[in-house]
Amino acid sequence: MIKTFLQHELKAFWRARNTGKNVAVKIIMGVFILYLLLCALSAGFFLDKILEHAFPGQNIVIAFCGIILIYFIFDLISRMQLQELPTLKVQPYLQLPVKRNALAGYLAATSIISTFNIIPFILFVPFIIKVIAVGSGAGVAWAFVGSVFGITIFNNYLALYIKRKANLNGWIFLIATGILVLICLGDFLWHIYSIKDISYLFFGHLISLPALVLLPFLLAVGMFYLNFLYLKDNLYLEELNSKKASHKSSTEYPFLNRFGTTGDLAANEIKLILRNKRPNSAIKMSVLFLFYGLIFYNKPAMMHTDYPVVFVGMFMTGIFIINYGQFMFSWQAAHFDGLLVNKIKFNDFLKAKYLLFTLVSTLAFILTIPYVYFGWRVLIIHFVMYLWNLGVNTTIILYFANRNSRRIDLSKGAAFNWEGVGGTQWLISLPLFITPILVYLPFSLLHYRDLGLAVLGAAGLVMILIRSTLINKLEADFYKRKYTIAEGFRNK
Amino acid sequence: MITISNLKKIYNNVLVVNVPQLEIAKGESVGLVGNNGAGKTTLFRMILDLIRPESGEVISNGEAVAGHENWKNYTASYLDEGFLIDYLTPEEYFYFIGGLHQQTQAHVDDFLSTLTDFFNGEILKKGKYIRDLSKGNQSKVGIASCLLQKPELLMLDEPFANIDPSTQIRLKNMLKSINKQHGVTTLISSHDLSHITDVCDRILLMEKGRIIKDIATNSSTLAELEDYFAVGQSVISSLQIDEEENH
Repeated sequence: MIKTFLQHELKAFWRARNTGKNVAVKIIMGVFILYLLLCALSAGFFLDKILEHAFPGQNIVIAFCGIILIYFIFDLISRMQLQELPTLKVQPYLQLPVKRNALAGYLAATSIISTFNIIPFILFVPFIIKVIAVGSGAGVAWAFVGSVFGITIFNNYLALYIKRKANLNGWIFLIATGILVLICLGDFLWHIYSIKDISYLFFGHLISLPALVLLPFLLAVGMFYLNFLYLKDNLYLEELNSKKASHKSSTEYPFLNRFGTTGDLAANEIKLILRNKRPNSAIKMSVLFLFYGLIFYNKPAMMHTDYPVVFVGMFMTGIFIINYGQFMFSWQAAHFDGLLVNKIKFNDFLKAKYLLFTLVSTLAFILTIPYVYFGWRVLIIHFVMYLWNLGVNTTIILYFANRNSRRIDLSKGAAFNWEGVGGTQWLISLPLFITPILVYLPFSLLHYRDLGLAVLGAAGLVMILIRSTLINKLEADFYKRKYTIAEGFRNK
Repeated sequence: MITISNLKKIYNNVLVVNVPQLEIAKGESVGLVGNNGAGKTTLFRMILDLIRPESGEVISNGEAVAGHENWKNYTASYLDEGFLIDYLTPEEYFYFIGGLHQQTQAHVDDFLSTLTDFFNGEILKKGKYIRDLSKGNQSKVGIASCLLQKPELLMLDEPFANIDPSTQIRLKNMLKSINKQHGVTTLISSHDLSHITDVCDRILLMEKGRIIKDIATNSSTLAELEDYFAVGQSVISSLQIDEEENH
C-alpha cells in the first residue's frame, strides 16, 4: 500500500500542470538545503572549538549539554514556520478498501523525510564522537545520539501537530508561537530561569546514567502516536466541518461605495480575506508582524545604522502586500472566469488591488506610530517605507501576479488542504526584500544616510503619482497573458 | 448579433472546435446539442473570449470579442460555478452584479422579488454563502444573475442540469418569455433533447467540434435528434475524454 501511495504522489508531482516550475523551485530549494547542510556540517565539525570560544573557561562538555535544548527550541520555532506537511490527498482513498491505519500511518511516517531531521545529527554527532565518546565511553555516546534522535522526532511531530491544529484555527499557531517566544524571553530577557541549566540537568545526568535515554524515546513515541491518532480520527474531518454551518449574514462597507466598481471589487476582496481560512491567516500574520520592531529596536547595538529600521519598517507596513500579494489573482482563481465575462474593466480590477493595499498598509502604518518611542527617526523611516510599499512593492507584486497562474481553491477548508505554505513562497518574495537595500546601500556607504532615505521615499512617491500609467501598463501586460492565466486557474 | 468565421481550437493536436461559418441573428433562440467532447463548452468560452482560438474570430454586434470589452455590457452568461464568487451570500452577489450595471440595491431587490417561484425559498435569506449551496441552487444563482443584467445576449451552458423538474419547467417558460417578449438572443446548450427543442427555434448539433446539423425546430426535430443520438450510441467504439468537462 505504502508503495502505491508513493507512486501516486510521484505521478501527481510529475503530471502536475506546472511541473516545470515545480522542478525549478525544487532545484533552487535543493541547492539552498545543500548549502545549509554544509554549514551545519562545518559547524558540527568545529563545535568543540566554537564552544571553547563562546564559553571561555567552561568545560566544553557542560557547555555542549547546555546548548542542546536551546537548539531544539529554535528548531521547533523554525519548523513551525517552514516545515511542510506531507501532502497526500486522502479523499480519493477514503471510500476505497484501504485501511485507515495505512493512510494515517503513511501520512505520519512520511513526514520524517525532512531536512530538519538531518541537521541535528550533522550538528551534534561529530562532537559526540570527538569528545563524549572519547571522554565517557561508547555507551554514553550512544545515549547522547539516542537522545538527540528522540528529541528530533518529538519536535518533528510536535511541529506538525501544531500545524495541523493551526489549519483548523489560525489562533493556535499564534498562541504556540507566542508561548515559544515567551519561553525564550523568560530566559534571555527576564532571566527567570535558564534553559541552559535545564538542558544540562538532563544531559549532564545522561553521562552518569545513560538509561535516561529512554525519556526522549518515550516522548518521541508518544508524540508520534498522538499525531497518528489525530490523523486517523480526522481523516473525514472535511465533511464534518461543512455540516456545522452557522448563519452567514450579508455585510456592506459603506465607505467603499464612493469608489464605484473599484470599491465594490475591493469590498469583495475584503470579504474574501475574512471569509476564507487561507487568506485569513495571511492577515493574522500581518498583525503578528506589527511586533517585529520590538525584537530589533530595543537593541542599541543594532540601531547605529538605519538598515534594521528600513527592513523592519518595510515588513511592518507592507507584510500584507507581500504575504497576501504573493498569491495575487490566485485567490480569485475559482471565480476568475466570472470576473472576465462580467462588466468589469481590468483597470478597475487593478485599482481595487491598489485600494486594498493602500487601506491595509495605511492601517499598519498608523498602528506602528507608537514606535516613535524609539525616536523620531524610526517614525520617519517607517513613513518612507510605507511610501515605498505603496509605490514600488505593490507594483512589483502586481507585475508578478500577471505571471502567476496557479490555482488556490478557497472553497476547500483549511483542513487537509496543504497546498503551498512553506519555504518555497519565501523564495518568490526575494526581489521584494533586496530592492530597497540595493537602492539605499550606495548612499549609506557614502555616508549620505538621509539622502538615501529621501531617495527611497521619492521613488515610492513617484510610483504612487504615476500609478494610473502603471495600471495601464499592467493592464496591457495582463491582456497578453490573460488566456494563460485563466486557463491555469481553470485547472483544478 | 454573433458572427463566427473560421473558428478553430486545438487541444493536444486534436481539433476540438472547427466552425468555418456561423451566423446568429438578433432575437434568435439557439440550442446547442452534442455528446460530451463535441466542443460545446469550448465554443461558448471562445464566444466569451475566455480562451484564445487557434484561428478565426468571433464578432459580436460588429466588433471582435477578443481585445474589446463592449460585448460585456449586453452579454450575460453562466457556464459553470467558476462564474460565481462563492464566498459571498447570494444577496451580496446579486448586489455586486447589479452594481456593475448601475442598478441600486432597491432595483435588485425588486427584480429578485419576481423570481420568488424560481428560487423556491432556497436562495435568499438562508444565511448561506454561495459555496454552501447545492450545485442546483448555485446554478439558480448563476442564471438569476444573468437575467438580472437585462442582457441582449444570454448564454447558458446546460442550465437544466442539476435542477429539480419543477424549476426546469419554470426555467423553460422564463427562457421562452425573455426571448419572445423581450427579444433577447439566447444561446443554450443542453443534453436534454426535449427541453432544448421546446425552448429553442433553432438547433445546432455538434460532433467532434463541427456543427453537423443546423435545424429550424419543428414537430419532427425531437425525433430526428433522438434518432441521431441513438445511432451514435452503437457507433461510438472508443471512449472519448472531454477536455472541458472532465477536469
